[in-house]
Parts: sequence; C-alpha cells; structure tokens
Amino acid sequence: MFKRISPRAGSGVAVTLAAALMLTACGGSGGGDAGGTPDPNEEVTLNFTWWGNEDRAERYEKAIALFEEENPNIDVNGTFMDFPAYWEKRQTEAAGGGLPDVMQFDYSYLRQYGQNGLLLDLTGFEGDGLTTDSIDETLLATGKLEDQTLAVPTGYNAWSLFENPAVLEQAGVEGYEGGTTWDDYDAYMASVTEASGGEVYGGTDYTMRIQNFELQLRQEGRDLFTEEGEINFTQEELAEFWSSAEDIRENAVIPARQLEEVAPKSGFGANLTATEMTWSNFMGGYLGDTGAEDLNIVAPPTSDPSVQDLYQKPSMLHAVSAGTEHPEAAVAFIEFLINSPEVGEIFGATLGVPASETALEGAALEGPELEVKEYLDSVADRIGEPPAAPVVGYGALENTFLTLGTSIGLGAITPEEAAQQFFDEAAVTLGS
Amino acid sequence: MTTIETNPTAVPPVQPVRKRRQTPRKTAATVVWIIGIVVLTAVVLYPLMWMISASFKPSSEFGSNQGFLPENPTVDNFVKVMEGVAGIPTWKFFWNSTILGVGAVIGTVISSSMAAYAFARLDFKGRPLFFTMMIGTLLLPFHVLIIPQYMIFRNLGMVDTFFPLLVGKFLATEAFFVFLMVQFIRNLPKELDEAARIDGCGHWRIFWSITVPLIKPALITSSIFAFIWSWNDFLGPLLYLNSPDNYPLPLALRVFNDQSSASDYGATVAISVLALLPVMLFFVIFQRFLVDGVATQGLKG
Repeated sequence: MFKRISPRAGSGVAVTLAAALMLTACGGSGGGDAGGTPDPNEEVTLNFTWWGNEDRAERYEKAIALFEEENPNIDVNGTFMDFPAYWEKRQTEAAGGGLPDVMQFDYSYLRQYGQNGLLLDLTGFEGDGLTTDSIDETLLATGKLEDQTLAVPTGYNAWSLFENPAVLEQAGVEGYEGGTTWDDYDAYMASVTEASGGEVYGGTDYTMRIQNFELQLRQEGRDLFTEEGEINFTQEELAEFWSSAEDIRENAVIPARQLEEVAPKSGFGANLTATEMTWSNFMGGYLGDTGAEDLNIVAPPTSDPSVQDLYQKPSMLHAVSAGTEHPEAAVAFIEFLINSPEVGEIFGATLGVPASETALEGAALEGPELEVKEYLDSVADRIGEPPAAPVVGYGALENTFLTLGTSIGLGAITPEEAAQQFFDEAAVTLGS
Repeated sequence: MTTIETNPTAVPPVQPVRKRRQTPRKTAATVVWIIGIVVLTAVVLYPLMWMISASFKPSSEFGSNQGFLPENPTVDNFVKVMEGVAGIPTWKFFWNSTILGVGAVIGTVISSSMAAYAFARLDFKGRPLFFTMMIGTLLLPFHVLIIPQYMIFRNLGMVDTFFPLLVGKFLATEAFFVFLMVQFIRNLPKELDEAARIDGCGHWRIFWSITVPLIKPALITSSIFAFIWSWNDFLGPLLYLNSPDNYPLPLALRVFNDQSSASDYGATVAISVLALLPVMLFFVIFQRFLVDGVATQGLKG
C-alpha cells in the first residue's frame, strides 16, 4: 500500500562504513638516530599531556608560556587529567595511534609502552639537543630500557619515614631517630600507642606496602623481581613477612578498620598516626592532609645500615611518542622542562627534587622542600642501584599487595592464604 | 486494560475492616507508614545530604571529622571552585556540559524518532534483519567499540571537538531510544496513519502531524535520559577531548582530586554538589513528564 521510502536509519550505517574505509595505517616507528635542534622557521604544534591537580596545571601553564616565548614558532597544547583516567586515555590512544607528542610518564608504565615501541628513542639526542650529563647516572638509567633512552626523569624521591611532631607532642613522646633495626621501630610504635592511651597510634602496619617488603629484600641483597621480570621471592617468604607484623597489629599500629574509615586519607594524613613510611615526595600532600606546619622525615629502619637498600626513584619522567611528527621540537621542549632553571623555579620540588643540577639551582628549595632534599642527601650512603624498570602489571600487583595486606589487618584471611592469593594473581598478571 | 486490573486488588482487603473501626486504625496505620517512609528516605538520602554538608567542611577536616556537620563551616570550597582550573573559569565547564547535553537531546529526539518510525511503519527490504542488528548493538559492550571508534574519529580529524560525542546522537545510534519509540509507535492505531494517507499525506506529513504528537511521552522520556547520560558521561569526553577548554564537568571534577599530587577533598565535594544541581533541577522540572511517559507506555496494550 505504502510507497517505499528509503530507510533513514540506514544512513548511520552508511556513514560509519564510509568512515571505516577511510582508515589508514596508524602509528609510525620513530627513528633513534636523529638528533639536533628544531628548525626555528618551521611552525610546529606540540601536544603535551600530564596528570595532576589544578596547582600543577597552573605551574605547567606558566612553563609552557615561557617556552613559547623563547620559541615563537612552537605552539604547545597542554592537557591534563587525574592519574587513573590519564592512563585509560593513553591506552586508547596507544591502540588508536594518537599519543600526544610529549607525555609526563610514570615509571611503572615505562616498560609496557617502551616494549611496544610507542616511545621515541632519545639516545641520538643526548648531547645534541638534550643535555643529560646534568643528571645523576643511576637516576638517568631509570629512563632506559635495553640501552635505549626512552624517558628522562624530572625529579626523584626515595623511600622515607615521616613523623608528625604535633601527634608526637599529643602522645608526649620523642620522635623516632630513624635507621634503627625493624624490632626497635616496632617497639617504638608500641611505645607511642601506649603513651597516648590508644588515642593516637605509633604508625601504620608497614607490611601492607610492597615497598617495605622490597626494602627488606634489598637489605638482604636482592630485588622484588629479577632482571628478566620474574618474581624473586617465595610464597613462604611473603607469608612470613606478613606474619612478622602480627605483634604490632595487636598493640602498636592503627587498626585496619579505622584506616578504612578515614580513607581516602591515610592514617598519617588524618593525624591518627605519628609515623608512616612512604615516598619522600609525599611531603606536600601530607602537609596539606594533616594541616600541620611541619613534618619531620627520617631514614626507614634497616637490618644492616651498611647495605645500600634505598634507591632514587624517578618521581616522574618525560617521554616523546614514537609517532610524533616533530621529534626535534619535542626534545627541545623536554630539554626545557628538565634542565631550565626557570622551570626549576616554577615547580620547586613538586615533581620530586629536580633531577637536573641546573634545574635544582633554579629551584632554590626552602622550607619543607629543602627538608626533603636534605633527607635525600643524608641517606646518600644507603642509596644504591635502582632495580630494573618495573615489570608490566607492577601497578596492579602493588594494588593487590595492599588489598591483601588490608584483608589480613581486618582479620579476613591469614598471611598464608594471602601469600597464596598473591602468587595466583601474579601468575596471571605476569602471564607466566 | 489488563494491566489496570491488578491495581484495585491491592485495596479491597482493607475496605471491610475500615468500615468497623475506621479512625483509630487509619491513624495508627498512617503513623507507622509515615515513620517507615521517613526512615527509608533518611537512609537513602543520607549520602547526598552528607555530601552537601561536607562541601562546607574545610579540606583539613576530611579524615578527622567523619561526622555529618562541619566543625568549622566555610564557603571557601565554593569560592575556590568558582575560580576555575588553570585559568579556565568554572562556568566554561558548565557551558560545555550544557552544549553536550542539549545537543544530545536534540540529536536523540530527531534521529531516534525518525528511525523508529521507519522500523515501525515502513515496509522495506531487510527490515527484520536491520531491526535485529539494531537490537544487537544493545548487547555490544561499549568497551569493544572504544578503540575502533577512536580511530575513525581520529582519522576524520574530529578529536578534540564535540563532534565525536554528538555525531552518534544525530544518527540514532542509541538503540535503546529507537527501540523504546518503535514499541510506542507500534501501539498507535494504524488507522490514524491510513486516514491521513487518504487525505493525501506522505510519510513526512504523517510522521510530523500524526506520529510525533502521539509519541510525546516517549520523546520526553528519551530527552530526560539522553540529557542525564550525557551530563554524567565521563569516558566519552575523556577519550575525545584534549583541551582543558573543552572539558565538561565530569572531567573538571576529577582534576580536583588527583591522588598522586595533593588532593583537595573540599573542592572536589563542592564542585560535585554544583555539578549535581542542574541535573537535579532538570529532573525535578521534567519528572512529572517522566512518570507520565512511563505510565502511558505501560497502558498501551
């Protein structure tokens, strides 16, 4: 009866098909032999991305404005997100072939992106557009993968032990001196908890963090993972590590349940514990969380003070996408971000204590940031070779470790069960 | 008609009792009823009320004060949030969200209703197949599409514009809405169309003068959902928008709460409250139509 009219709904399909046909091969392989400085007459637009809060965004905007002033032909488009979303977006771009030219990079993702050839090899630029001799060699090595320089560290930090003087005063005890044996530290935490009558606690159960396990392993002279990326400890050792804290869970550290209550803050950030071990760059965040005027920072416990158990961890790195059309300009931008004293001044130690000497001079650290720098200098004797770049999936394992540690603290599982679960999950994550 | 019959059955058992001792029984029941409702509402609304109340807490109070009321109430969080991020004023994020939301509504209403009309009223070759395919897209997880979709839009040079987020809406890609309207149109008496046809209407005129006015409840339901989904969408804007200038609210919100640098919980909560207001207003204004829409859909049978 009705005259046939061509279906409207079909048009959507048609357009999609047409678009699919227009797809071309994506991504390009970057050449590592190139070097040199950008052509000052070529108009270039660089996409640059970072994760961070609005404070960091303001600092980067300043740095970008300065760079554009010095290089009028280069236009930098900055974009930012929070950490989890940042990597979600990168993942899609990596697969879809649209990674930004320059990226703020995280140590734990370096191997994954580097192995897949998504990052430009910067080796050819070293000394020819990119100054790297301003950076400590072992620290610079953290941005390398199989002799290719894939990323350059902006700054560094190390594992450390924070103390909150206000909480100590409330409990009426002296601060922890730092660098003693683990047993001494356990006893110290118990003494704080006892002195305050349970109002505040001596610390947080350190066996929840994989970094403390790593620290103990390094004190025995090995890393969490072998060079080949295999687990370097046994299930029994892990169970033993978790069991070792049974005593302190009973009478020294903040109960796991209370930690859950104050999340997303940590027990330390919520002014409930006197000490906590974490990365030294947490200074800024913890000052904000606690509202304290001053926090102390001392060396973590050790079973042998002569062992080089700590290492300089790059707080973040800068990398160039392999698919960039303007490698010279991208490298010039990284050079500016890493080495320029002006950038050092803009950022201070908010990206970690500046890795580059020239940036560090410009930063003129003071107050809490200077304290962090002084701490890092004070433990120089304990700082050794960094472990190999984290295995693919390290972030997930770190999280699993924390979750299992929390479950033990809540009494939901035993250390032995947790160790079993950890190895089961690691087998899947590491694909072995 | 059949659906209505279930309703009266709920009432009769009460009626004979009510006749004998009407007043005391009724009051007691009402009191219990009201208390029950109030308790339930309180439980359900508590998180929301907590969020509103928490937006007046200074940032340092998060973690130390778990309670409902702030110890030192302040409006600093809102002042800070209104200053914006990295030189971009906060109203810009609201504006971007609004463009996306309104665009999604317009696109969805126009395209889905036309697609639905075609599926319900036109007899074209392969209609059952296309209909099945359309329904099939409902079963396709979004995550499967992310990468191919991203590649298409990237190669079309549309990344960092609103197009990737809106084009689909104008092409009736939301099978849910199309399906909803198809069902609605199928329930309209075909005789209306035929009468119009005898009077000389073509498909355009039938669609515009007969179908659209009659499926208004479905259109309103779709508009509300399209708006709220678009307003709350995080993944789409995250993938397709690069310039902070183009960020809609859900992205801006995340920037206040980056765990790896210092987090400003007060500001996060404050902007969450602000982001919620327009959706709530939108819902309050249109919820009458929403209920109408859902109710009338159930009645057609």
